[in-house]
Amino acid sequence: MISRILRAGILPDDSMSDTDAQALFKRRRNMVVILLAILLVIVAGAITTPSFLTVENLLIVIRAASITGILALGMSYITISGNLFALSGEELAILSACIFAFLMRAEYGLFTSLVATLLFAAACGAIQGGIISYGADPIITTLAFGGLFRGIASLVTNNKNILLGTTAAEWLGTARPLGIPTQSWAFIFLTAFAWFVLQKTRFGRQLLLTGANREAARATGLRVGQASLVALILFAVCCGLAGIFAAAQFGLAVANLFTGLNIDVVAAVLVGGISLRGGQGSPIQAALGAIFIALLQNFMLLHSFTTGERMLVVGCLVALATLGFHMLQRRRA
Amino acid sequence: MPGDSSILRMRGIVKRYGAVTALQGVDFTLERGEVMALIGENGAGKSTLVKILAGLERPDAGTIEIDGRRVRLRTPNQSLHAGVAYVTQELSIISALSVAENICLGGHTSPIWTTAQLAARVKPYLSLVGLDDIDPAMPAGSLSVAQRQLVEIARLLSRNARILILDEPTAALSDAEIEKVMAVVRTLASEGRSIIYVTHRLGEVFEIAHRVTIFRNGVSFPPVDVERLDIDELIEHLLGRRLDQMFPERGISIGEPVLALEDVMASGLSEPVSLQLRAGEILGLAGQLGSGANAVVRAVAGVPPRERGSILLRGKSLDPRDMREAIRMGIAYCSDDRKRDGIFGVRKLIENLSAPAIGRITVGGLLSGRRERDLAGRLAEFFEIKVNRLGSQAGNLSGGNQQKVALGKWLGIEPSILLVEEPTRGVDVGARAEIYRHLRTLANEGLAILFASSDNQEVLGLADTVATFFRGRLVRVAPAADITPEALLRDVTHPESAESEALT
Repeated sequence: MISRILRAGILPDDSMSDTDAQALFKRRRNMVVILLAILLVIVAGAITTPSFLTVENLLIVIRAASITGILALGMSYITISGNLFALSGEELAILSACIFAFLMRAEYGLFTSLVATLLFAAACGAIQGGIISYGADPIITTLAFGGLFRGIASLVTNNKNILLGTTAAEWLGTARPLGIPTQSWAFIFLTAFAWFVLQKTRFGRQLLLTGANREAARATGLRVGQASLVALILFAVCCGLAGIFAAAQFGLAVANLFTGLNIDVVAAVLVGGISLRGGQGSPIQAALGAIFIALLQNFMLLHSFTTGERMLVVGCLVALATLGFHMLQRRRA
Repeated sequence: MPGDSSILRMRGIVKRYGAVTALQGVDFTLERGEVMALIGENGAGKSTLVKILAGLERPDAGTIEIDGRRVRLRTPNQSLHAGVAYVTQELSIISALSVAENICLGGHTSPIWTTAQLAARVKPYLSLVGLDDIDPAMPAGSLSVAQRQLVEIARLLSRNARILILDEPTAALSDAEIEKVMAVVRTLASEGRSIIYVTHRLGEVFEIAHRVTIFRNGVSFPPVDVERLDIDELIEHLLGRRLDQMFPERGISIGEPVLALEDVMASGLSEPVSLQLRAGEILGLAGQLGSGANAVVRAVAGVPPRERGSILLRGKSLDPRDMREAIRMGIAYCSDDRKRDGIFGVRKLIENLSAPAIGRITVGGLLSGRRERDLAGRLAEFFEIKVNRLGSQAGNLSGGNQQKVALGKWLGIEPSILLVEEPTRGVDVGARAEIYRHLRTLANEGLAILFASSDNQEVLGLADTVATFFRGRLVRVAPAADITPEALLRDVTHPESAESEALT
């Protein structure tokens, strides 16, 4: 029988051919580019602004990078699964922040509030993921839900600040165990987690293969719908976490807690060099992309760029990264 | 020296795809006002040649002259400008636009028009293709396939096409519609336009063409006048290649029936089909594009599910909801489009090979690198894929290696039935022989293999039993040893004559 064939055979060695070395170089190249870009901003910041390379400022940057980064990590699951982007991240983070603030004020305690908020976010992700895995367009679906989430946040808060009312959450938002902000610990942990999921788990492999070729994944019997669904849930949990951290940090939640976060996250994934076609790239690239965006934002703040100017720069960056991506694709084709 | 009437001369055309040479120095001439048929087996090079002419592919060497002047046909626009028009099987008619709008599409019309102006503009072209009775304002979506084809031709005529390439124009048409298209082709030729007519149907060659150019293995033969040719000669010309070394010895141990199709109707079939497949047997379904051979394979795989009839797997009805369920039942299905659903081009070879059997390499939700290397290594070794390439991107492999991956990955699930469409499409000769050998080894291990192919030699060489298909119906089932290449070719191109012969 066929099992006989499977039992025979030899084990592969790990040597590589020239084309593989080239492919590896290409994969690494994206990583090198983003690292160089980060270095460039740091050098430029250090030269032009004395306050840029201070411990205090760098901690601010790291904290900001962590919020963007946590969302970008969540987004990387979606992009890698071949679903491009979810445009409801900012809004879900805001809604989660508001819910967390309400729960804290109602004195449910830090742990209960945290878990309940994350469960709520996961449910929001599951609804979106369910619709997308049914075949709906990811961009339009999440855009619609983004509007929905922002609307609910605005309604339930009546557009007023919701103070957390207790100091229990203050630790979560401002503590620095071993000198590193809690947000950044979460960021580091989630990066490692995402890397592990994609490299080492069956689910991660199905996600990668679904992103690489959805038709082939279906024909091979993989759970194509599940990949999209779980990617959205993971993303939503990341959004919930980002909202909780922000609420805890500021001691309040409000319906306009974040502005322009969606485009920052998209920019992070794009400049991190994750392929928009799906099936390729690593969450580490998204994490580095987020660090770059946070550094750039901070650099512009220190140079007193207005909000409009900063949005302009990030918008241009996204447009250029997209253009660059498609030019590379075309040259390869 | 180019004769006065030569409108097109192609000389020494070479086209390579990676390691595969599709055209090895082809010469081709076309006279004014003639219908030239192009025939040859799949992969013989005829479609590559017309694509070069249409500006869809760039030749690696060779020259092209139109009206005695050298031309560069780098883009479809340049080709159209030079007077070459390509009517593909996938028509580019836009259903939502009117017939007149479709005809004017992409042409140089003024930016503002009225329906009446457009109608007046396209009337002469519509009557050229015999569609006088059609209202130019009606939506193109309401036309029949043949009418759409004619509208497409009208569109190209309106762009002043002098060389028309028709690529299997009758593949999807009924007999009455075929007559109509044929009549238009004759009229156009009599007006001095030249037509290149690509077809698999030998009958059409005699019906419509003045001359025929035969392609075989990337080489073209000097054109032959159809009047001085009969169908037996044509078949002899078409075959000719001897590849005795290509195919392995036939099966030794055919066992119990595993799969039975009873009066199965499915999209792509015009009559119900009944067939049987036994363990260790390779059943080859021979037929050209649209013959129904592929439809049978797909009906068994359930993509799309059959419309009527029953398919029994070891006596039990086989109705998988999706491929996941089919795979669990031990059915492996390899479609004819490996780029679309056969391989994960941007992922590593090892991941491609382990994908169907992902459960086997998972322990508690985590991938076991050791198990994966073990499984993929064995599959690669069996299919003679170099194991040191396991880390390569699958998309970087040659067509032959990609096909080995698309087939080989299925062994991981230890299937009892392997369904394959076009087992060696786009695969070089060396890898082909290897694939045939491996499929035979698998059959000898008890695997039942059902494959559909438009390559007659492949069916005759590989299969134990052959079923021939023509226009959606099963022509006959017979042991491969009892069918001659000539009879098979008749069955799939011209079964009427074969049937009458069988009666006498």
